Order: sequence, then structure tokens, then C-alpha cells
Amino acid sequence: MSAETVQTIIDDLGALLLFTMILIVAAGQIYRAIYAVAAQSLLIAIAGGVLATSTGNKDLWVIAGLTLGVKATLLPWVLHLVVQRMNVRREVEPVIPVAATLALAVVVVVMSFHLSASLGSVQPAITGNALPVGIALTLLGVLVMATRKTALTQMVGLFASENGIFFTAMAVTQGMPLIIEIGVILDVILAALVMAIIVLRVGSTVAAYIADLDELRG
Amino acid sequence: MTGDRPLGLVLLEMTLLVVLGPLVTGTIQKIKARLQCRQGAGVLQPYRDLTKLLRKGTVQADTASDFFWLIPVLVLAATVAAGALVPVVRAGPPAVPLGDALLLLGLLALARFLTAVGALDAGGAFGGMGASREMTIAPLVEPVLMMVVFSTAVAAGTTELGALAAQRGTSWLLAWHAADFLGFAAMLVLLPAETGRIPVDNPDTHLELTMLHEGMLLEHSGPGLGCMMLASHTRQIVTLGLVAALFFPVGPADRAGATGLLLGTGAFAAKILVLATFLALVESSYAKLRLFRVPQYLGVGFVCALIALALRIL
Amino acid sequence: MAACYGAGALLSLLLARWSGRLALGVSHLAAFAGAVVGLGVSLGVLLGAPGRTLTQPLPVLFPFARLSLSVDGLSAYFLFVISLVAVAAAVYGPAYLRAHSPDAALARQAAQGLALNVFLGSMAFLCCAGDALTFLFCWEGMTLASYVLVVSDDRDGENARAGLLYMVMAHGGTALLLVAFLTLTERSGAFDFAALRVAARELDPATRTTLFLLAFGGFAVKAGVVPLHVWLPRAHPAAPSHVSALMSGVMLKVAIYGILRFAFDLLAPVAGPLPFSWGWIVLFVGTTSAVLGVLYALQQHDLKRLLAFHSVENIGIILIGVGLAMILWRQEGVGDALATVALTAALLHTVNHAAFKGLLFLGAGSVLCRTHVRNMEELGGLARRMPWTAGLFLLGAVAISALPPLNGFVSEWLTFQALLAGASRFHGPAGLVIAFSAAMLALTGGLAAACFAKAFGVTFLGRPRTFHAEHAIEAPPSMIAGMVWLGALCVALGVAPGCAMRLLDAPTAELLHGPGASAVVMSQGPLILSTALMPSGTNGTAISMTMVAALLMSLTAIAWVLRRGLQRATRRVAPTWTCGMQPTTRFDYTATAFAKPLRLVFAALYHPRREVTRETAGTPYVVQRIHYAGEIVDLAETHVYHRVEREISALAQALRARSTGRIYGYIGFVLGALFVALLLLGVVYG
Repeated sequence: MSAETVQTIIDDLGALLLFTMILIVAAGQIYRAIYAVAAQSLLIAIAGGVLATSTGNKDLWVIAGLTLGVKATLLPWVLHLVVQRMNVRREVEPVIPVAATLALAVVVVVMSFHLSASLGSVQPAITGNALPVGIALTLLGVLVMATRKTALTQMVGLFASENGIFFTAMAVTQGMPLIIEIGVILDVILAALVMAIIVLRVGSTVAAYIADLDELRG
Repeated sequence: MTGDRPLGLVLLEMTLLVVLGPLVTGTIQKIKARLQCRQGAGVLQPYRDLTKLLRKGTVQADTASDFFWLIPVLVLAATVAAGALVPVVRAGPPAVPLGDALLLLGLLALARFLTAVGALDAGGAFGGMGASREMTIAPLVEPVLMMVVFSTAVAAGTTELGALAAQRGTSWLLAWHAADFLGFAAMLVLLPAETGRIPVDNPDTHLELTMLHEGMLLEHSGPGLGCMMLASHTRQIVTLGLVAALFFPVGPADRAGATGLLLGTGAFAAKILVLATFLALVESSYAKLRLFRVPQYLGVGFVCALIALALRIL
Repeated sequence: MAACYGAGALLSLLLARWSGRLALGVSHLAAFAGAVVGLGVSLGVLLGAPGRTLTQPLPVLFPFARLSLSVDGLSAYFLFVISLVAVAAAVYGPAYLRAHSPDAALARQAAQGLALNVFLGSMAFLCCAGDALTFLFCWEGMTLASYVLVVSDDRDGENARAGLLYMVMAHGGTALLLVAFLTLTERSGAFDFAALRVAARELDPATRTTLFLLAFGGFAVKAGVVPLHVWLPRAHPAAPSHVSALMSGVMLKVAIYGILRFAFDLLAPVAGPLPFSWGWIVLFVGTTSAVLGVLYALQQHDLKRLLAFHSVENIGIILIGVGLAMILWRQEGVGDALATVALTAALLHTVNHAAFKGLLFLGAGSVLCRTHVRNMEELGGLARRMPWTAGLFLLGAVAISALPPLNGFVSEWLTFQALLAGASRFHGPAGLVIAFSAAMLALTGGLAAACFAKAFGVTFLGRPRTFHAEHAIEAPPSMIAGMVWLGALCVALGVAPGCAMRLLDAPTAELLHGPGASAVVMSQGPLILSTALMPSGTNGTAISMTMVAALLMSLTAIAWVLRRGLQRATRRVAPTWTCGMQPTTRFDYTATAFAKPLRLVFAALYHPRREVTRETAGTPYVVQRIHYAGEIVDLAETHVYHRVEREISALAQALRARSTGRIYGYIGFVLGALFVALLLLGVVYG
């Protein structure tokens, strides 16, 4: 397929990714956030597949498959299990009101577009809108992590951040080394496992609030 | 910028919208009923309701002023006039300039204002409550609509709906920019708010604590109530037509003659059917939001529309 | 024109000795005549040959300055706006003053007549001023006359306090203006505007921007933009209603005239766009004023205070248009036409606001003079007792909510089109800011509609809540006539905006040195509003208000037939359903309740205070009485003004401790000050 088609598809996927990110930021229930991040990972997998067919890079197939298998299916299922087992309150607990978080999200998106426009020299190396969207997703994932109290939503934020990094990395036309991408995925899987263990262990007596860890003081 | 839609066609489209409006409501009710595992009333039930109301007499509250009799007339006139601004069967600006998306939104706002004023006329708490809530939601919907219209109009350079549809291309394939996904998402968030459906409002109930739009209609009766109901059917199909014109301008633009018109009508009907099914599915899947959660819900739409605009401009 | 206003002022003084009624009548008649003459003069300039400026040197009063009048397009337009509302106010005035305070002292009536004529005259001459001295004289005259009118109706000390605050703030603004003007005159050596223009060309950008900001600050106080608006909601309701209409509808516009004159005429650079910050500051200030004005207006229960806050909102909308025009003027890549559209929108909203705000204030006045109650929570049911007032108030409410087919919608449509053009021209965050401004404008439109649904509904509909409301009768015919004049204006400007475009040709062409308004906006025909070529090269949008109005009329006729029903059934009257209880006025929704959801949604901006106390009898479970008190305080007042006031009071207290009360201490102080002044003089001239 032609370069323009690929660019249009990447642009469209970028918009859909931003939409799922907004859903994550504005989610009122944990289930919605988990489904949104699963959908987001699915879109990343599709993006990987499209880029793989257009550039002929075999590594991208691997990445797309891994994202589909691990981040779109396995990890959300793990989170789902934890939520069910824990029977936590379905509400996410925001630190600042959701409206303020949404306003910050808009500012972050605008700034990431502005930033990528000023990094003009990098532009031809990355297909389409992937750089600003990737930066926005990463920053918004960190925003979610910073503005939520429950560990589960913070995990969702971590997954979203990683999606953003992957999106930009996949769209680099020269191709990223496979080892970096495998490494990132492994880190995320590890983090999810650690979180699940902590929550399931600690949560039998207290709720899974990371904020409660500040009791561990001298 | 005179176009190729003669005034006669515009008026015909307007009449078509008014005639088809109750059918859309009936379809949504039927789909909801089927999803609730019951038969439901027929698709033509709203027409029967309207004819029944036109035959009845009127009961008016003793404190209502002379405006009260006029309110259904003005509301129906404003809503139907808004219908004249939506391109239905053929895209392209009308031969005589009429109005654009902003005028359409203004006419719908006029209808809403007059309904609220009429609700306060009879005195009593129900009308006041419905009017107060409706006028709380309305100002929050307008900025989002404005951003969506802007995000689609910025590329085309015009806000006139027929010209906008023609500019975005009316081939049978959708040519969507990345920003349109987010703009469409914002419009989908707004649809229940504009048409008065769950999760913003409940159109099936007559308990005063759960209704916004219906609460304002409580004191109307007989032909007046028939006019107000026809106005709300028309408002619904006009909003769906607005979404179709902004985001799905598929259909023949330049084929004149009977085949062109028939194909255009068919395409429009298909689009409206898809959107109506979406509304019915949303109504059956979600619960009505608390009134003070609605601004948050609309805030998601606003953020989507703002990012859509950012994607277009930046 | 001077003769009319001057005669009115003098005659009212003279005749007051004999009969208060005669004095009032004659003074208002003179005002009416002056307004008519003003209309004639302004129309002559506006519709006459383009570029024609009437100049009239005034008698030489000072040896160092020549006073003159010069009426160019912009002056004539604002004179037109002033005269339009003055006509209505003059017709309305006598009957209102008679009905509202029938036992007023002769001196007070004479003072009111005198002040009204001085007020109108000074505003008219202000717009025609050709040099800085005339401008400043008329500015002072306008302020003093309006102060007299504000405090003339002192039923309680509240009006006096409002007047004092108004005086203090107005003079603060005048001080800023003085600095700006005097800096320019010092550089140019003469006072007239032509010399000031020449002198301004040689300014460096920093000085130019400073002067503009000073002038903008001075005019902003008078225009009532946030946060300098705190005098407006106190002073405008205190004045008699026709004066409130004039102050809201016209005096605020005079400040806009000043801003336009400074930005585009006196301080503009010879070539190239205006400095970057000007337009964006004005746009930001305008948007903030619009949103905050309407938010505070929503929570008011006093009819006139509500209308005063709406004036703040509409001035914000006008400033949005002005700011856009400043941003878009002479930018590369943008045709002249876009700035013209923005300026046309702002100027059209000027005349529209004058018309509908005047109408609303006159309506509120007729309610006030018949019921002597300003709080809308004590009114209700007036639509059956005062049908004409109610109908005209509804017309004004529809117009101010920017609903088609009336004039408020036309100017907001033009503002939106200008904002769209600006958003598509500026790529990057600037364009996004402009689009966000458009979203805020849509928000204010919706909130204004909500506010007027409340105002009209609670005041005129439902059941009367007090004795006064129940026994109100219709206003006298002359008051109705004044309102009908403004209402007809609203309808005419809405349905056929082309006639206003013709009048806007001269101001826009002269200020922006580009195509006139009707060339741009009416380019497709006399009944069609269309926008200019957009930056993307496509043709803009075209709408026709006339066609839509015609469509509405025909549809109303059809719907009316439908409404009568298929069967000639008789209309039955029955009490309102209140769950089976006997309906009383306590069942009606109050204004506080109507606005409560919005108060909760925007609680972050309101910081509402709420106090609920329960009186129990015996055990805590038996509640005898619940007392609820809620309050919304203007945020600007609490955060800015009270703090400043506290600082000034503290400083004053500290200084007070120093005053010894002995005379040689004071003489020593004077000597010291003289010494320091002489030293400074030596330093400056050395």
C-alpha cells in the first residue's frame, strides 16, 4: 500500500488512541478503564500489523503479536481477576476532580503537538502523527498514574504509557531494534505481576491503596 | 454562493423530515422493546398518538397567560424551520441562501427557550423543575456543539451544512480525517443530550424527579401537546440529520432526476436508521445519570471535540 | 444639537421654580429634540459621501488649545447609537418619574432634568470630539451628570454608597486616560487629534503599548470589564430606569468608542499590523468578562442588577469582536475583509445591545414603577396584568439570548464567523485559543438564555407572590411607546440586517482603511449576510435572516391552524396540578431554585456560602424552624478589592497616627513638599 494510505491509517489510529485515552482519564469505574486500555492495545496491535505489511519489517509482526497476546488479552484479564477477587469498590479515586484532570489532559495533548511541531527535524523519520500522539499518550498515562489513588488504575496508566512509547517506536521508518521493544514489554509484565502479588497479598486485610504505603515511615 | 438545490426541494426535504420524525421515534421504541424481550407498540404508534391528541380538547391552567396558547405554535415553527437547514437527499448549498449550522443551533435553542418559558407559565413545581434542569444542561451542550461544528467547518471554510457536505465529498466512500473520529465521538456523546434520551434524560417516564424535557410538557394538553410532541420528534430527526451532514455526507450530489432523489433518500434513511439503532442500544444499556454527573459526561465530549479541533489546526 | 441640550438643561432649572411636572416635561422634550437632531446629523454623515468628515471649530476658550468637533464615520455611528436610545428614554422618562416618585421635591426633579440633558449632551459631544480637551471635558461632564442621576433617587443610603463607588472608580479611570492623553499631547505640542496622530507615529513600540494599556485601562473601568466592573451592578440599578437604560446601553459604548479610537486611529502604526499583545489582551479580557458577567447575572434576584451584570457580559462580547479585529488587521496571509467582519460584528453588537438592553431596562422600570418591588421573588403573574410590558420584555429577552430571528443572533453569528476565520488562519495554539473563545461565547449564549428564562418566568409568569404584584396595572402609554420604539428596532435589525450594514460602511472603511462593511458582508445581495473569503480560499457562508424570518412566519401560521385542532372543542380551565393539593404561590418555582443547578455546576467559580440553622423545640428531633441563608459574593470583590481596601485602610491608619494636629507641623510639611518639588524641577531642567 502507498505511503499516503499508511500515513492516513496511522493518523486515524492515532485519533482513536487519543479517544481511548480520554476514556481512561474520564473513567468512573475500573472496568471501563480496563476495557479501554485493552481496546487501546488492540489498536496498537493493528497499527503494528499495518506498519509491518507496509515496511516489510518482520520484527513488527512479532511486536504486534506480543501486544495482542499480552497487553490486549492477558494483562487486562489479570487485572479483571484482581478486581473480581478483591471486590474493591468499582470507583476510581481521583486526587483532583475529574474535570480538572480532563482539563490537564487537553493541555498535555496541545503541548505535545506543539512540542512535536518544534522538533521538526525528526518529523520525516516517523510516519504521520505518531510522534505527537505517542508523546501525548505517554504523558497522559503518567498523568493517570499521578492523579489516581488505587493501584489498579495506576497500572492501567502504566499500560497506556507503554502503548504510547510503542506507537512512536513502531512508526519510526528505520525500524527500532527488537530487543528494546521486548525489553519494554518484559518490564511491564513484571510490573503487573508485582502489583498483582502485592494487591492480592496486602488486600486481604486492607484495601489496595498505594497511598496507604505512606504509613511505612520511620 | 448559490447552489443547486432549488427552494422547492428544500421545502420538500423539510416536510419529509417532519413526516419521518415520528417514524424514527417509533423505530427506537420498537428496538428498545425488542431488547427488553417484549413486543412493544408498532412502529407507527407515534402517528396514532398525534392524531389522537389533535382530536382532543384542551385543558389550560388557570394561572397561565395568553402566551401559553402560543408556545406550542412557536416551538413547532422554530423546530420545523431548523429542519429546512439540513441537507437530506442531496448535498450542496441551496439556491437561495437560507441558514447554516449556527442558525440551526440557534433555532433549536429558541425552541428550547420557549418551551422553558411555557413550563414556568402554568406555575407549580413540575414545570419549574423541568425548565430549570433543561436550562442547566443546555448551556453545557452548546460549547461542545460549537467545537464540533468548528472542527468540521475549519477545513471546509464554511458552516453552511449543504456546502459543508458537498465539500467533504459525497462519494460512497467515507473520507474521514483523523480528527473526524474524535469529532464523531463527541457528537455521539452529545446525541442523548440533544434528543433527550438516556443517559441524560428519560423520555418514557412521567415521574417529575427523573425528567427534563417531559417535565416541561406536563401542562400542555390536546392539540398543544400534539404540537410539542411533533416538535420533539422533529428535533430528534433534525439532530440526527445534522450528524449525518457533518460526518456521513455520502450520497449522490450531482445526479439530478428521480433516481438521484430516490438514492439520496435511501442513503439518508440508512444513516438515520444506524444512528437510531445506536440511540436505542445506548438507552437499553445504560442507566440515567444523576443530574450533576451530566456536566462530567458532557466534559468528555468537550475534550474530544477540543482535541479534534487541535488535530485539525495543529 | 448643542442648542437643544443646552436649552433643555437651562429651561429645566428655570421652570423648576414653578412646577416640577413642567420642568420634567420640558427637559425631556428638549432631550428628545436633541436626540432627533443627533440622529439626523449622524445619518447624514453615515449615508453621505464616503470619507466625509464634518469639522466644526468651537469658540476659543483657552489660549493654549483650539477646541473642535470632528464627526467622522466612527463618531457618527456612536452618535447614532446614543440618539436611538435617547429618543426612547426621553419619551419614557416623564411618565416614569411621575409614577415612580410622585412626591419628589421640586429641586430633585429640576436636578434630574438638568442632569439628563447634560448627560446626553456630553456623551454626544464626546463622540464628536476633535481634540483631547473637548474629549476630556465631555468625559468629566458625563461622569458628573450620571453621578447626579444615580444618587438622585435616594430612598436609602445604598444609592449614595453606589454613587460614591462609581465616582471613585470613574475618576481612577479618568486619571489613566489623562496620563495617556497628556503624554501624547506633550510629544505633539497640540491637543487636536490630527496632531496626536502624527506624534504617535514616532513612538517606539514599548511606549506605544504602554499608552494603549493605560488608555485601555481607563476605558475598561468605564466599560465595566471584569475585574473593573464592581461599580456597575451597584450604580446602574440605583439610577432611574430610563437613566439605567442610557447608562447601560450607551455610556458603556462610549468607552468602546474610546478604545477603538485609540487602537485603530490615534496609536496605530503607519503600516503593518498592530502590536501582538493588544488584540490578545482585549480578546482575553472580553472572553473573561462575557463568561463571568453572565455567571454572576444568573444568581441575581434583583431585576436591574441582573440586567447590569448582563451589560458586563455583552461588553465582553463586543470586546471579543474588537480584539479579533485588532489581531486580524493587516496580518499577512489574511485579507482585509476578515478584520472588517470582526469589527462589523463588534459595532453591530454595540447597536444591538443598546437596543435590547434599553428595552429590558425600560421594561424593568415599568414593572418597578407599578409594583415598587425590584426583587423578582416577590413578583409573578404580571403577564396577565401588564401584557404589553410582558410581551416587550419577552422580545428583549429573546434578543439578548442571541436567538433567531432577532438582532442579538445576527451580531453573534458574525462574531462566530470571524472567530472561525481567525481559528483557521492561525495554526498552532493561537488558533486553538480563538476556537476556545468561540466555545466560551457559545456557553455565554446558552447561559444568557437560561438567565432570561428565569427572569421572565419568575417575574411575569406563575402566580403573583405579593400584594403589589397582584394589584399591578399596565404602564402608561408613553412608557409603552418608548419600549415599542426599541422593540421595533430589535425586530428590524434582526430581520433585515442589511440596513444596519449600510450604516456601518463609514466606520469600518475609515478605521481599517479597507472595504466597507456592506461590501464584505452584503456581498451577495441585499437580504443575505455572507462572510468573506476564508483563508482556505473557499467562499464563506451565506445566510439570509429575512428568508428565515419569512419561513418562520409561514410555519407559525400552519402550526397555528394545527393548534386549533381537528375539532372545535371548548377550552377548559382548571387549576394547575399540584398532586391534589390546593395550589398556592408557594408551589411556584422560585428564582433561587431555578438557578441552583447552575450554581452547583459552577461552584468552583462562585464559592457560594451557605448557612443553615435549625431551631429545635425540646428534643433535637422536633424542628421548629429552619433558617437558610445563601450568598454569592463577587470573586473580584473579595480577592482584589477588599484586599486593596484593607491595605489602603491600614496605610491610612498608619498615616493618621502621624498627624499631630498642630499647625506649625502642617506648615513644616508644606515647606518640605515645596522644597522637594523645587529640587525635582531643578533636576529635570538641569
